[in-house]
Amino acid sequence: MSIFEYNGSALVAMVGKNCFAIASDRRLGVQLQTIATDFQRIFKIHDKVYVGLAGLATDAQTLYQRLVFRHKLYQLREERDMKLVLEIKIVYNAMRFLMFCRFGPYFCQPVIAGLGDDDKPFICTMDSIGAKELAKDFVVAGTASESLYGACESMYKPDMEPEELFETISQALQASVDRDCLSGWGGHVFLVGAMIGLKEYWNLQQLVD
Amino acid sequence: MDLDLNAPHSMGTTIIGVTYDGGVVLGADSRTSTGMYVANRASDKITQLTDNVYLCRSGSAADSQIVSDYVRHFLHQHTIQLGQPATVKVAANLIRLLSYSNKNMLQTGMIVGGWDKYEGGKIYSVPLGGTILEQPFSIGGSGSSYLYGFFDQAWKEGMTKDEAEKLVVKAVSLAIARDGASGGVVRTVIINSEGVTRNFYPGDTLPLWHEELEPHNSLLEILSSVNIEPMST
Amino acid sequence: MAQSAIDLPLKGGFNFDLCVRNEMLLKKGVQLPSFRKTGTTIVGLVFQDGVILGADTRATEGPIVCDKNCEKIHYMAPNIYCCGAGTAADTEAVTDMVSSQLQLHRYATGRESRVVTALTLLKSHLFNYQGHVSAALVLGGVDVTGPHLHTIYPHGSTDTLPYATMGSGSLAAMAMFESKYKEGLTRDEGIKLVSEAICSGIFNDLGSGSNVDICVITKGHKEYLRNYQLPNPRTYVSSKGYSFSKGQTEVLSTKIKLLKEKVEVTEGGDAMEE
Repeated sequence: MSIFEYNGSALVAMVGKNCFAIASDRRLGVQLQTIATDFQRIFKIHDKVYVGLAGLATDAQTLYQRLVFRHKLYQLREERDMKLVLEIKIVYNAMRFLMFCRFGPYFCQPVIAGLGDDDKPFICTMDSIGAKELAKDFVVAGTASESLYGACESMYKPDMEPEELFETISQALQASVDRDCLSGWGGHVFLVGAMIGLKEYWNLQQLVD
Repeated sequence: MDLDLNAPHSMGTTIIGVTYDGGVVLGADSRTSTGMYVANRASDKITQLTDNVYLCRSGSAADSQIVSDYVRHFLHQHTIQLGQPATVKVAANLIRLLSYSNKNMLQTGMIVGGWDKYEGGKIYSVPLGGTILEQPFSIGGSGSSYLYGFFDQAWKEGMTKDEAEKLVVKAVSLAIARDGASGGVVRTVIINSEGVTRNFYPGDTLPLWHEELEPHNSLLEILSSVNIEPMST
Repeated sequence: MAQSAIDLPLKGGFNFDLCVRNEMLLKKGVQLPSFRKTGTTIVGLVFQDGVILGADTRATEGPIVCDKNCEKIHYMAPNIYCCGAGTAADTEAVTDMVSSQLQLHRYATGRESRVVTALTLLKSHLFNYQGHVSAALVLGGVDVTGPHLHTIYPHGSTDTLPYATMGSGSLAAMAMFESKYKEGLTRDEGIKLVSEAICSGIFNDLGSGSNVDICVITKGHKEYLRNYQLPNPRTYVSSKGYSFSKGQTEVLSTKIKLLKEKVEVTEGGDAMEE
């Protein structure tokens, strides 16, 4: 068993027109047994930056705490939120955590989504030792990533309006977790854009198995 | 077939150092392999340390490069402090020092050769564990096992420069013929009181040994030269 | 701040905190994750007035293609670039680290960086980690001493060659070079040969794919030809695509929050009286 399959997860982020969406499933399992159905994998760093952490749940929470710690220190020192302009900054900051753990990594695959300085949406993912991949369309992570690749590859269209983006990301997520035993139990979607603000949705999944 | 491209870069090698009347001749093949893949077919395994001292490297490429880089650095400092060229013995001792004190980390055997005004041409061999051996001639690398008997028979005291170089080229080409891990071209370095000469013998000019074929550009050429009759019914 | 000194590795270096735990998990039979690799074809050659580097653009994670158009030709210095194969995080980190060292060195000396400097920095880092930092690199550049092309292996050994290939597609690419390379190629011939070598990797090696990136470096000039060739365009895209009507997804609850307005601070007004 791979360590990523211990808790199970599905994570996806997409870019639309002047907005982005990041979505995850809500299941926390111990292998095939479901422990919780309201687990949170997407965390807000501040209004414009969200981080999703797929992989081992304990590491996801620890890594999130360390990210928050870093961000709060930054806020104290600089008296402002970390900007995405220094676009790569948060990414790079997160990466530094991971990179220095090159030989003892957190078992997490982060997905980072945010609005840049000119409110341009920006998404990115990394592997567990910090190799970043910037994408213009969508990024995926977790045990359902294989089916998510397929779903997103066919459902994604460039320049979607916020409503359509929400429907697309939700449908892609639901279609994919239905084919993955280790993730599911509804979705959790953050839809963010400068004009629309933050919309947070909790989806009910059709099949609750 | 397992190519194993992730295997460490190693030089399954033939390296030779021979003293003659007035100097030394160093020789080496040019094959560097990773697993079963020839990563470099024209590498230079005879590295310069100072103006008058050269080093033949075998074993792990990474390890021997690091050792030679360090020794070159130390010898340059030493030359400046001393105000005159370093001796071969000093160079060999530095290599021994590094080889011995890091013997758990290093997988490399080396042959140092050079000329200095005190002792003339000298060959020192520094094999795996970090011992140092002053020898009239020395062979190393995977190809050397095919050459011990040959050298016992062919090496003579007091050879001339040309005799010595001929011997080295012949020996490397013999090893290339039998050792799969050696190949490519033959490089030689001759060091004596007059300075250093580097020679290069391309693979297709080497002598042919038992059962070896003339090099051909294409198999078709062999076929056309034999003039095979088409099968008749 | 004592806490943060422990928490933040300010001086650099690797962090081994989780090694013991991960070792324990490994002993319990847990499989550690695979890292993003660039099953790769990267090549380089020396032509009449400089160096040409080439790379494919596929990044893989096991059998999955996780990036179809990644960049594998990394910046080292204005006159030096470096192709990376192996674990993506390692090639990226090691080239970033060395390029910043080179930048500092340029500030200190006021001179153009040399390719051998980059070579030495890279090889000594890789040698220190004894092959555990798995980066296989093709380093090319033009400096005051002319054009240079080197290959660097994860264990820290280096070679200097007129043409070089690396990565899983290196055999396919080397076959093209071995049959067609000659000394003194022109720029156009060189670019053509490099793209042929990369294409041979793309089509014959499963770890390599997608597009061709090329970087041409000549004396005092460089040209980064990102996506020089696109031999694998997407053919399976539907003209209409999926469309979902609004409200198709069942929603349990929704929370809407407007982002904070940016506060404009206007300078001006009357200066304060003394």
